[in-house]
Amino acid sequence: MNWGATVRTVLLCAVLIFLHYTLRPLLAWRASPDFLIIALLLASVRVRPGVAAMLGFIIGLASDSLALSAFGAGALAMTLIGFSWSRLKAVFFADSALLNGFFLFLGKWAYEILMNLVERRTHGAELMMQIFVWSSLSAAVTAVAGVLALMMLRPVLETRGT
Amino acid sequence: MARTARFGARLDVVIFGACVLLSLISMVLPTNLRDPVAGTLRRSLVAPLMRLQLGAEQWRAAYMRSERVELSRDTVALAAARVPTLETENDRLRKLLGFGSKLQWGFIPAEALQGRGRAEDFTVTLSAGSRAGVRERSLVVAPEGVVGVVQTVDPTMSLAILFAHPDFRVSAMSADASAVGIVQPHVTTSSPTSEPAFLRSERYLLEMRGVPFRATLKPGAVVYSSGLGGIYPKGIPVGVVLAEIKTPESWARTYLLRPAVNPAELTSVMILTPQRTAAGLVNVWANVGPVDSATRSIVAAGDSLARQSATKEAEARRAVIDSAARLIVDSLRRDTSATPRPAELPPLDSAGRARAVRDSIAAARVRRVRRDSVAAARAKDSVRRDTVPGVRP
Repeated sequence: MNWGATVRTVLLCAVLIFLHYTLRPLLAWRASPDFLIIALLLASVRVRPGVAAMLGFIIGLASDSLALSAFGAGALAMTLIGFSWSRLKAVFFADSALLNGFFLFLGKWAYEILMNLVERRTHGAELMMQIFVWSSLSAAVTAVAGVLALMMLRPVLETRGT
Repeated sequence: MARTARFGARLDVVIFGACVLLSLISMVLPTNLRDPVAGTLRRSLVAPLMRLQLGAEQWRAAYMRSERVELSRDTVALAAARVPTLETENDRLRKLLGFGSKLQWGFIPAEALQGRGRAEDFTVTLSAGSRAGVRERSLVVAPEGVVGVVQTVDPTMSLAILFAHPDFRVSAMSADASAVGIVQPHVTTSSPTSEPAFLRSERYLLEMRGVPFRATLKPGAVVYSSGLGGIYPKGIPVGVVLAEIKTPESWARTYLLRPAVNPAELTSVMILTPQRTAAGLVNVWANVGPVDSATRSIVAAGDSLARQSATKEAEARRAVIDSAARLIVDSLRRDTSATPRPAELPPLDSAGRARAVRDSIAAARVRRVRRDSVAAARAKDSVRRDTVPGVRP
C-alpha cells in the first residue's frame, strides 16, 4: 500500500470513527450501526494481519475504557476480528458488496456475543434474546451501513493501485 | 523474498498473539491497576471522541426538547382552535336542554347529519327512526324554530325535508296576527342583480306571500306559524322579516324572511310526536322573539297595574262599608235598649252589612223626621200666648 492509499484509508477510518461518536448518539437506536467495526474492516483488508490485529486491539481498548465491566473484552474481540479479516482477505474478499456485508455481519455478531458473555449482565433467556435478537439486529444494521459506506467510498478506495 | 514473507507472517502472528495476550491480561487486571490504564486512555485517546459524543448527545437532547416544545405548542394551538367550536356546541346543547324542558313531553331528540351533496341541500338525516317513535310527517323543530318535516322513516334513522325544500309551505302570521300569509322557500329570480346585494349573499331565504296589502311588517318582525293547514301548529317561529320584495301581485305584499334556523349550523333537533303537535305549542316559544317578549312584558306590566289599582279600590270600598256598618251598629245599640250587647251580636257578613246599612239609613231618616216634628212642636209651644193676636193670657 502506497502512501496515498494509506492516507486515504486513515482519513476514511477517521471519518467512520467520527461518525461512530456523533451519528450513533444522534440516532440513538437500540440496534445502531457500529462504525468502529466498519472502520476496522476497511483498514484490515488493506494492511498486514499483524497491523490489523494491533489496530483492532487499540480500537477495542479505547472503547473498553468507557465500559469498565468488560475491560479488555472489546480489545480481544477487535483483535480477533481484525486479524481474521486481514488473513481472510486473500481467500474470500473479492470486490463483492454482499460478501463484505456478510463478513461485517459475522464480525459484529461475534463481537456482540463475546461482549455479552464477558460482561455477564444478562443470563438465560434474556441472554439468548440479546444475542439472537438485538445483537443480530445490530449486526445486520452494521452490515447494511458498512455496505453503503463501502459503495459510497469505492471511488476513493479504488485508486489504491495507482 | 520467501524468507522475508515468512518473517512477516511470523511477525504478524507474534503481534496478534501479543495483542490477544494483552487483551486477556486487561480482562483479568485487578481494579486498582485497570482503572489507571482506562483513565489514561479516557484522558488522552478517547477524550476528543468523548467530547464529540457529548456534543452529539446535547444536540439530540436539544432537538428532542424543541420537538416537545413544538408538540406542546401545537397541542395548545389545537385546543385553542377547538374552544369556539366547543363553546358553540355547549351553547347549542344548553338551548336544546332548555327547549326540552319547555316542551315537557312528546319529543324525540335526534342528531342532524347533513349531506354534503348538492342534492342533499334540502334534506337532513336524523339519527332517530321508527323504533324511537318517529312517524312520517312528524314535525322537526329546533330551539330557534321550525326545521322541517320527516319524510321517510327507517327503523333507526329518518329523513326530513328542510324548509329550504321547494315543496315546503307553512301558513304564517305576525306576532300580533295582523299579517297572515304563506311562507315558502325564496327562489332566486332570473335576474339576481335586481335584488339587493345583501339578499344575494344569503342562502336558504324564505318569502312570505299573500300578505294583505293593508298589513305591513317591519324588518326584524318575527313571523310564526299560524296553525292553519294542519301540519304545523300555531306559534312556531318561522323567520324574521328582512325586507319587502316587489312582485307582480299588486293586491298582496310579499316579504323576504331570514329563517329562524340556520341549516348550516344544525346539529341537534327535536322530532315532535303527532300527539304533542296536536296538543299545541303556543307557550313553548314564549320568549323567542325579543319584540314579542317586550310586547308581552309591557302588556303584563299594564295588567298588573290595573289589577293593583282595582285591588286598592276594592279595599277602599270595603273599608268605607265596614266603618259605616260599625257606626250604624253603634248607633242602633245606643238607641234601643233591647239591642243585644256587642258580644251577643252575630258576626255580620257583607250581605248583613248592606242590610244593616239600609236599615240604619231608614232609621236615621225616621229619627230625623221625628226630631223635625218635635222641634216644630217645641217651637209652637215656645210662642207666648199673649203675643198671639186675639189671645189673652
